Amino acid sequence: MKFSLERRREVKPWHLIGVPLLSVIFGTLVGGLFLEATGHNAILVFKTMSQTSYTTLYGIGDTLTAATPLIFTALAALVAFRVNLYSIGAEGQLFVGGIFASGVGIAVGTSSSALAIPAVLIAGVLGGIVWMTLPALFRAWFGTSEIITTLMFNFVALFLMRYLIYGASTYWRDPTSTNFPQGKKLDQNAWLPRFGTQSVHWGLVLALVTTVGIWFLLRKTRFGYQMKVLGDAPNAARYSGVPVKRMTFTVLIISGGLAGLAGASEVAGRAHALDPNGLAIGLGYAGIIVATLARLNPFGAVIIAIGFGGLQNSASALQSLGTDSVPSAIATTLQGLILLLALAGELFVRYRLKISKKVEVSA
Amino acid sequence: MIAARHISKSFPGVLANQDVSFDVAPGEVHSLLGENGAGKSTLAAILTGLYQPDAGHVEIDGVRVSLKSPRHGLALGIGMVHQHFRLVSQFTVAENISLGDRKQNWILSTKKVEEAVREIGERYGLPVDPRARINELTVGEQQRVEIIKTLYRGAQVLLLDEPTSVLTPQEVTTLFDSVRTLASEGKSVIFISHKLGEVMDISDRVTVMRDGKVVGNTSVTDTSREALARMMVGRDVDLSAIRATKPTGTPLLEVRGLTAKSARSQVSDASIVVKAGEIVGIAGVSGNGQRALAEGIAGLTPPVGGHITICGIDVTGKGSVAARKAGLSYVPEDRNGTGLAPSLSISENMLLTEDLPFLVNHKSAVAKAEEAIGAYSIKTPGASTPTRMLSGGNVQKVLLARELGHDPQVLIVASPTWGLDVGAVEFVRSKLNELRNQGRAILLISEDLDEVRALSDRIYVIFEGKIVMECAGEGADVTTLGLAMAGASA
Repeated sequence: MKFSLERRREVKPWHLIGVPLLSVIFGTLVGGLFLEATGHNAILVFKTMSQTSYTTLYGIGDTLTAATPLIFTALAALVAFRVNLYSIGAEGQLFVGGIFASGVGIAVGTSSSALAIPAVLIAGVLGGIVWMTLPALFRAWFGTSEIITTLMFNFVALFLMRYLIYGASTYWRDPTSTNFPQGKKLDQNAWLPRFGTQSVHWGLVLALVTTVGIWFLLRKTRFGYQMKVLGDAPNAARYSGVPVKRMTFTVLIISGGLAGLAGASEVAGRAHALDPNGLAIGLGYAGIIVATLARLNPFGAVIIAIGFGGLQNSASALQSLGTDSVPSAIATTLQGLILLLALAGELFVRYRLKISKKVEVSA
Repeated sequence: MIAARHISKSFPGVLANQDVSFDVAPGEVHSLLGENGAGKSTLAAILTGLYQPDAGHVEIDGVRVSLKSPRHGLALGIGMVHQHFRLVSQFTVAENISLGDRKQNWILSTKKVEEAVREIGERYGLPVDPRARINELTVGEQQRVEIIKTLYRGAQVLLLDEPTSVLTPQEVTTLFDSVRTLASEGKSVIFISHKLGEVMDISDRVTVMRDGKVVGNTSVTDTSREALARMMVGRDVDLSAIRATKPTGTPLLEVRGLTAKSARSQVSDASIVVKAGEIVGIAGVSGNGQRALAEGIAGLTPPVGGHITICGIDVTGKGSVAARKAGLSYVPEDRNGTGLAPSLSISENMLLTEDLPFLVNHKSAVAKAEEAIGAYSIKTPGASTPTRMLSGGNVQKVLLARELGHDPQVLIVASPTWGLDVGAVEFVRSKLNELRNQGRAILLISEDLDEVRALSDRIYVIFEGKIVMECAGEGADVTTLGLAMAGASA
């Protein structure tokens, strides 16, 4: 028996859906074996996960709240990835977006929500753009690797954000929080409204509208068409007359703005303050995974983000499982396992496994 | 020496070789003639051990063998010289030959290799300095290194895959002398080509392939170019020269002192004029600045110096959109990759050189693509098929359909028939001729000297980025052109 991979001659629609579905099922099975091997009740764990994340009203609410920033960061990643710009800066841009948004949110004071909310959101977008500007300029005009620059900027942003709350008594810090420093609350007018008693806020709606907007941009406009050409064949873009450098810059700026919006939505919708611990949970990096699993499709990103949000959400529930509690490390391992297999499974979208009996050799 | 017996090999959806039998005797030069996709490369891959046949087998000296890999093939004396050389350009000749040489110790010693290279060079008329770096050598010399490499490993049978495609006419002559020496020393040479003239020149015997099958096997003395062409294509073909029948008009493309750079290609101080109703050829060996010239004129790369005027409009340094608006179309050599975005559909590719509004109308693009598919009889499942799925001829048709659809006054075509089968070559040539008769100006940049000579009313020769010669197309002398292409001052 000989195993070999063979490129599929044609990728059919069912490959695109069936393969990831099978990967996730397989990942769950392997995860189950892992749980059993470590002495946990796999069925109970999966039951809890589905309850806390996907089947109860509260669970779904929390999942959607967790998915909201992921939709933005996934859009940020996919826009750039589509033209082979591998920005991993959504993390830092999200922080700076959060810093800008909370700054404005604290300042808007007594103005009405109709003014305050757009002001906060725009500030978030600007924050993301500001943080992307240097990497984008250097990438477009000097060819500096955006992977390196955006990654470095993530750390700078992280420490900047921490400094603003933990480091000194700044404008962003709540002066009344003496024991453990916390961000100052945004003015109530600047809060994104919630749906009833749920944690779900209007950031979700904004994320969905943005998704449609990005889809429209990619699919229907000249800009989107040129992006597609540039992403597929840079020489063809040059041939066609696409201003490649300007295009590179613009795409990265859009990506930065989207990541900044994620920060604004988190600040104005969830924490209502600049909350370093709540923001720095890898939302930017997770967005890259979401975008990749969604094959850079905006609508796909929404679906994957919701699935991913649920996974994230269930980890904490597993720790409080009473007698059969699953340590957070194992919950994270489980998440990683499912994601890893889902990513690995992508190979089988383009390739198929060929099993051949060994050929008789005569010499 | 080596023989293929009733070989069949299929790839998903294609029967690449169907009951192919073929044999070469020691001291024989045997040509394998056929169009692209006729199955020559598959047969070569089977003979060298890269592929295993589905049915049939290979024999060496009458003994049935099963070749597991090219290394195994080489161990049994079968070596291949690839069309694209596999040499490390920073390494010396001897170092390249030592690469993958199992006789070497773990401490590399090139002394013996150097001696062997000299010895092989003298014996077979393949002189090359074993200590020279590859990037200091001419293309012809690099090819010699490839041949020496296979001989050094003990090859008795040499397969040369389209060996002349990168050479000047003079280098071809030198190569053929070496091939004859090799044969006289008892080696067998399998010469893979689609060029009839060369096949007639060099071979003792010819095997013609078409659609995966052997359609003829003859001694060259019993055949003619015309008979081979008919066998290869399956019908009569006429690729004789065509020239302008009407007097030429005003200059439509004027290039004065163009200096430009593109990737690794460079052109300096080139001046070219193309008038209405003429085809002007640019002859030159691959990599002598053709790309920079074309991209410089078409506005893909900003010129460092000089002026470009298209239909009286100065477009110097204004980019490809301005050049297009002035009336220029450019059909690049790199069709899928520059002329077309390969993963985009035919219809999306129709928009590539269009002046697009903010919102793209994909429906009208589909209509345009369908019209082109009909008018140019492009073989494709539909307008939504990515162009990378199309065959070479159909790719070129998509590109031509789009560019000629703009009704250009000036057309630059680079290697327009490279890699196309004869039917498509005829089609492209007749299109170019049609445009010439309509009073358009055409700049034909091609490494195929026969093509330049067959179509051009005037010829410029480019060497190391400079225009080194200009002459009339009618009666242009191959030797003179060849010398100019090699840089000999006329």
